Amino acid sequence: MRVLLSWLKELVDIPWTAEELADRLPMLGIGVDAVDKTGDDAVFDLEIPANRGDLMSHLGVARELAAAARTAVRPPAAPVRREGPPTADYVRVEVQEPALCPRFTAALITDVRVGPTPAWMARRLEACGVRSINTVVDVTNYVMLELGQPMHAFDYDQIRGGRLVVRLARPGERLQTLDGVERTLDAQTLVVADAERAVGIAGIIGGADTEIRPATRRVLLEAAAWHPPLIRRTSKRLGVRTESSARFERGVDVDAVAAASARAQYLLQEIAGGRVLPQPLDHYPSPAPARTVELPWSRVSRLLGVEISLDRGAAILTGLGFTVRREGDRLAVQVPSFRRDVERPEDLIEEVARHHGYDRIPETLPLEVTAQGAWAPALRAERAVRDVLIRAGLTEALTVSLTHPRALDRLRLPPDHPWRAMVALRNPLVDDHTHLRTTLLVGLLEAVRANVSRRVGDVHLFEIGRTFHPAGDGVVERRRLGVVTTGRLMTGAWNLPAEAVTASYYHLKGIVEGLLGELRIGGAEVEAADVPWLRPGRSARLSLDGQEIGQLGELHPDVAAAFDLPPSVYAAHLDLEALLARAVFHPRFTPPPRFPPVRRDIAVVVSADVPAAEVHRVLTESAGPHLEAVELFDVYTGPPVPPGHRSLAFALTFRSSERTLSAEEADEAVAAVRWALEQRLRAKIRE
Amino acid sequence: MTEAPDLDRIEQEALAAVEAAQSLEALEDVRRRYLGRRGVVADWFDRLPTLPADRRPEVGRRLNDLRRRLEDALGRRREDLARSAARQAAEALDVTLPGRRWRWGRLHVLTRTLEEMLEIFHGLGFEIVDGTEVETDEFNFERLNMGRDHPARDAQDSFYLSDDLLLRTHTTVVDVRVMAGRRPPMRVLTYGRCYRRDAPDATHMPLFHQVDGFMVGERVTMADLKGILASFARQMFGPDAVTRFVPSYFPFTEPSAEVAVRYGGRWLELGGCGMFHPRVLEMAGIDPARYTALAFGLGVDRPAMVRYGIPDIRLFWDNDLRLLEQF
Repeated sequence: MRVLLSWLKELVDIPWTAEELADRLPMLGIGVDAVDKTGDDAVFDLEIPANRGDLMSHLGVARELAAAARTAVRPPAAPVRREGPPTADYVRVEVQEPALCPRFTAALITDVRVGPTPAWMARRLEACGVRSINTVVDVTNYVMLELGQPMHAFDYDQIRGGRLVVRLARPGERLQTLDGVERTLDAQTLVVADAERAVGIAGIIGGADTEIRPATRRVLLEAAAWHPPLIRRTSKRLGVRTESSARFERGVDVDAVAAASARAQYLLQEIAGGRVLPQPLDHYPSPAPARTVELPWSRVSRLLGVEISLDRGAAILTGLGFTVRREGDRLAVQVPSFRRDVERPEDLIEEVARHHGYDRIPETLPLEVTAQGAWAPALRAERAVRDVLIRAGLTEALTVSLTHPRALDRLRLPPDHPWRAMVALRNPLVDDHTHLRTTLLVGLLEAVRANVSRRVGDVHLFEIGRTFHPAGDGVVERRRLGVVTTGRLMTGAWNLPAEAVTASYYHLKGIVEGLLGELRIGGAEVEAADVPWLRPGRSARLSLDGQEIGQLGELHPDVAAAFDLPPSVYAAHLDLEALLARAVFHPRFTPPPRFPPVRRDIAVVVSADVPAAEVHRVLTESAGPHLEAVELFDVYTGPPVPPGHRSLAFALTFRSSERTLSAEEADEAVAAVRWALEQRLRAKIRE
Repeated sequence: MTEAPDLDRIEQEALAAVEAAQSLEALEDVRRRYLGRRGVVADWFDRLPTLPADRRPEVGRRLNDLRRRLEDALGRRREDLARSAARQAAEALDVTLPGRRWRWGRLHVLTRTLEEMLEIFHGLGFEIVDGTEVETDEFNFERLNMGRDHPARDAQDSFYLSDDLLLRTHTTVVDVRVMAGRRPPMRVLTYGRCYRRDAPDATHMPLFHQVDGFMVGERVTMADLKGILASFARQMFGPDAVTRFVPSYFPFTEPSAEVAVRYGGRWLELGGCGMFHPRVLEMAGIDPARYTALAFGLGVDRPAMVRYGIPDIRLFWDNDLRLLEQF
């Protein structure tokens, strides 16, 4: 909201320059977005807090400044001369919805000459961002900017039956409003109507048929107060925000409606030559009783942590327009009608704090004993996982959790895939952010694409984030981990074989295994599986206790193409919560072995369709209690290994924690392994 | 008369010197010392006439033997040294070739900023808790004193999922959850993603991060609020960081303030704060006559932009490694 310094100065003595004022207003809680200095005047663009409708006028700002400068405001005069027959002879007012319209006034001004507005008034309006239209409309706007009370002026001769009726619109009732839009109203919209039809939408915008024209001679001036939530709802529903609605939705000073109307009547009389009829109509059946708030003074220091004298506090409140009565160590504070926002002692304490100065509240650290600093276990675990992944050489990405279902088409997901069950936004803002994500992959693959398109081809990223899934009427959030990796893994890899230093399925699997190891999760199984977004034959699922908790593999060529990615992008997607449920973060110490190991190497020639994991399993199960470690160190196909077979070479380490193992014991174990492999997998063993 | 030389000792010393020579230059020094024109051996030949006549033939013969053995030893050593110099030359590395390094990963700059903030508040005694991103209208708004028609809702235009469910617009909603489930005193902090219906531009994203803390107790004051946030600002922005608290309005705090820190010659807005409104405490089942509560909600994205000189908030979500790898 814009205010003019010269206008404020009419209403209050300001001891500060424009610059000083620009510094001081924020300290009072009135934000200054901009100051535009012109000559010896200045326009302040102010940011008014949502609870301070009373500040939406020059008078309101002047009141704050008066309190800050410890002086008083001079409200503008309105010495109206009233002449002729009483207003009621011409106008009838009927309020059918008193709950939505606590007060409605109507005044009639005759013999008005509609013409150009005096330059001083037009300049002020323009400085405040309001277009000058004609004398009558300008006067209503001027008073709104001055006192904060919006009003509406009708051409009385267009009002049928001389009646103004406040009622809900009839369904389907039509009204062309001043913005030129022809509107069909609904029964939730409060209108001001004449004897036959709606002539304005209450508190928001007037109708075109009854507007002030150059030929208008008799002006029917409406000034009212409306139920703020009604104005807010209607304004949102219609998508119409006006200077008027902005003030009514915050609430105007109900007690001051008639006085504001009188100010406008006076100006019409002075600058448009109007004659004001006596006894304007004022429908105000139940004036709001004045509110009194009790403030035990000890609460001030208890809440603020600073001692402010009761005398100083009383002076501040009095300066702001409150009526203060001292009752021992408490104040009984009567709230002025323009400060409906003040309801509780804390509201008064804030007034005192603002004008005492927030900067005069000391900085202390709390004395109160509470729990000691701590981390929620899930958050601590999430940090530990991040740490592991960073050690694995992955960089953290953050991707947007809003997405669109068609993004999943690019992952080749069938219609019944669980990720297709998405939570939709009721009121999306942009077309590609209509749903909540069910996977981190889309965002991560887009991040790879963004990098690749900038010729950054070595991309190794992870994200830990939430996915969202419908569950009955609600939504379930799951923590997920996504990994994508493509390109070289090493810098300075000159003269090294490319495959050794380039991301591959096995590299990705190594990261997953490493994570499981760091989290000390045993018993995880990786097995070949069909995954829609992964390349057939190079895709796997990860399971814990038979429950699938993720997938990993090489991206399906169609998916890579859909994301505009090169081949050889590897991706994993894991349910982090399932992992964390099994993680051990505080392992026990295991003493390093005291006795030497015995090592035996065996090469297992087995049909090529037997997975390495199967050989490993048989080997582990049959090797006896002293098997300590199994390491696969070679995979070979080609002569002399028969066609359709391959040779897997394992290094077995045997060790006892109680004694030195003999070579014979190791040999016996190997013999058992050999027997089991031969029997169960029809393997041939080369030692 | 001169005494006959101790040729055994001389030989021992000379052979030791030959073996000790680590370079051809050092070996030549040894040769010169013993076999040079003025070396030890030549010197004794010169002094033969001064020996008794009956010793001269024997000493002369032994000197010749010594010279031959030394020459053999020098020759062998010379060959050894020459061979290892060649090997060294062949095995030498170009020590200036690029080093090999597995790529290192790193945290996203926003996570990094968050972690810094969390560590500071952890040090200030806060218990850090988690919340959900999907919330109810009741907790996100109503219980924070923002009824259906509250004008303050305009500033927090929300994404709704159903009549009642929405994406949280602030992490303050977690404060409400925690307060509803515990008894005072408490000193709790939470953080995470929040969502508002803002079209993306250089300074807005429909999602952003917040850190939100509160403390409830019988003696918690606004001075404590200022103290906590000033301490945070000093740890985050340096020991000379100056903070400013200006009055503001939030429906859920009374009094309310905005907190800013002087940074790079300008006021950098950190967030909103205040003392929880008694209605908020009442709705959480906490007696406002007995307890007071401080609360604050700090931005993460904008302070990170200012601190690191990142001009556009959308860059945080772009995951450009050329940006991420700078932090």
